[in-house]
Amino acid sequence: MLELTDIHKSYSLGTVDVEILKGVNLSVEPGDMLAVLGSSGCGKSTLMNILGFLDLPTSGDYSFDGRLAAGLSDNELSRIRNKEIGFVFQQFHLLPKLTALENICLPLVYRGVSVKERKERARVLLEKVGMGDRGHHRPGELSGGQQQRVAIARALCGNPSLILADEPTGALDTATSREIMDLFLSLNRQEGITVVLITHDPGLAKQCERSVLMHDGVVESL
Amino acid sequence: MILGENIHEAVRSLWSAKQRSLLALIGIVIGIGSVIAMVTVGQIVEEEAIRQFREMGTDICMVRLMSKAGQRSKRGGMPLGTILAIPDECRTIKTVAPYVSMYSQLTYGGKRANSSGLGVTGDFQNLFKIPMVQGRFISDLDGSSNYCVLGDAKAQWLAEQGVTDPVGTQIVYGGKLYTVVGVAGAVPGGTFSPYEINDGVMIPLAAALRQPDRPQINVCGARMRGHGISEEATRQLKEYFTFSARQDVRVTSAEELVQQMDRQMRMFTLLLGAIGSISLIVGGVGVMNVMLVSVSERRKEIGIRRAIGAERNDIQMQFLIESVLLSFVGGIVGVGVGVGSVAIICRFTGWEFFVSTIAAVLGVGVSAAVGMFFGYYPARQASRLSPIDALRSD
Repeated sequence: MLELTDIHKSYSLGTVDVEILKGVNLSVEPGDMLAVLGSSGCGKSTLMNILGFLDLPTSGDYSFDGRLAAGLSDNELSRIRNKEIGFVFQQFHLLPKLTALENICLPLVYRGVSVKERKERARVLLEKVGMGDRGHHRPGELSGGQQQRVAIARALCGNPSLILADEPTGALDTATSREIMDLFLSLNRQEGITVVLITHDPGLAKQCERSVLMHDGVVESL
Repeated sequence: MILGENIHEAVRSLWSAKQRSLLALIGIVIGIGSVIAMVTVGQIVEEEAIRQFREMGTDICMVRLMSKAGQRSKRGGMPLGTILAIPDECRTIKTVAPYVSMYSQLTYGGKRANSSGLGVTGDFQNLFKIPMVQGRFISDLDGSSNYCVLGDAKAQWLAEQGVTDPVGTQIVYGGKLYTVVGVAGAVPGGTFSPYEINDGVMIPLAAALRQPDRPQINVCGARMRGHGISEEATRQLKEYFTFSARQDVRVTSAEELVQQMDRQMRMFTLLLGAIGSISLIVGGVGVMNVMLVSVSERRKEIGIRRAIGAERNDIQMQFLIESVLLSFVGGIVGVGVGVGSVAIICRFTGWEFFVSTIAAVLGVGVSAAVGMFFGYYPARQASRLSPIDALRSD
């Protein structure tokens, strides 16, 4: 499903080029639950940006369902993000002025789905993440764990084939982390959604079927 | 993204930054308001200037005697017989009203006043639409009898002397005794009607021509048989005077004058509109400023939306609609403010108030265009942000 071949990524800081990814090779099969484990600064967020079509590699091939990322237009990248990928961020990244329901159905807004249909879908997902009674609350009125549940519901709203979660429990306490992690596991096992989890926590990585270690810009199998 | 969604989003966003939106709104309101006010005032002034002609009829013209060098002749004057034959000889002319102006002393009951005077024929009243307050106007049947009609100002002067019912009173003008047969109402002053109508006394033309200083006819009013024939009438009148009296005349028609005035007034209105537009531009820059601030404050939101799948166009449209909405609302309020201030100006000046629909519709349209123009750059900037840079910002 995901195929990364010799991915390099460097940023130029003034006159110096800093290489973050130094030849990443990785493949993810449909239905995988993969943890990318690594300490901070090893390049795992950069990897996630590339996996999520938020950024393009400097060199190397990245193919998603057989489509090469290089050569796709900005609009095509947007469409893939919209239809195929659901993002879950460490900082939740919910829009503060929108209610939970409105946040959840945001991906469908950009597909031109009708308001009624959007609302229905959002409500179903809100139930699924166990937040059925909080639909009209704004993010500021919810706890961290609740916000992350809303964010997960938003990621699921577009029916993606891949969920990319970047330190999804990084801002949560241990008990809440466990609940969120259980949610990911059940999504993977019961619905067959491919999940790529980026974390620095070996404990979380252990719960995943498969984990790889990222170290100094390259991926090593464990 | 659907339009309705965008508008909803724009309202929410503008509402959440009330103070800033309000300030930008004021800029647009002042801009559109001043354009509307200026243009409407220009149009009202134009209407005012032209109205007196309309009341008198645009089918009148003035025939003035010229000397050979192109100046007004001081000797001879136009022969009365030639003038009175004009309606028979020039088929474009319906009636003529030759007149002479004088300046002499008016005496009543031992009080004296200097007064201008006019020697007129019966058609003079009809030509210049002179209303009668009392009695009758000079008639052609008066011949050279010593009858006179008082202008508005002179009737007031007589009233100051204690004469409230002047018809039948005898006054002395230029050393001769006249019997007042009527009092004329005030006529709006202007280029066409001789100012003496309000200010002086009017006597029969034949009587005036027999005054000791021998006044002469240098000017004659005429009414044409219809509208839009002033060029033909001018040509006929010039030819007629050249052949029958070997005189050179200049013909000024109200129609021509109205056209000239229309042109001038349009320039004037345009100028006022241009001045107003400057404040509109300033308002537009205000909108741009607000939008730029809004974009930089909402970088993170832009990043989130892009990550979720918004295309560049979606982001651009979202911000563009926000600025258009802001300007559009400003435009509607501005039209109201503009029309309101014109109403106040009219109240104080006594002008006839009207709202120019074109200006109002245009004002709202222009405001939306201003929003589009000044909102384009910030919206484009927003859409060009890279998703990860935008996501990282706080």
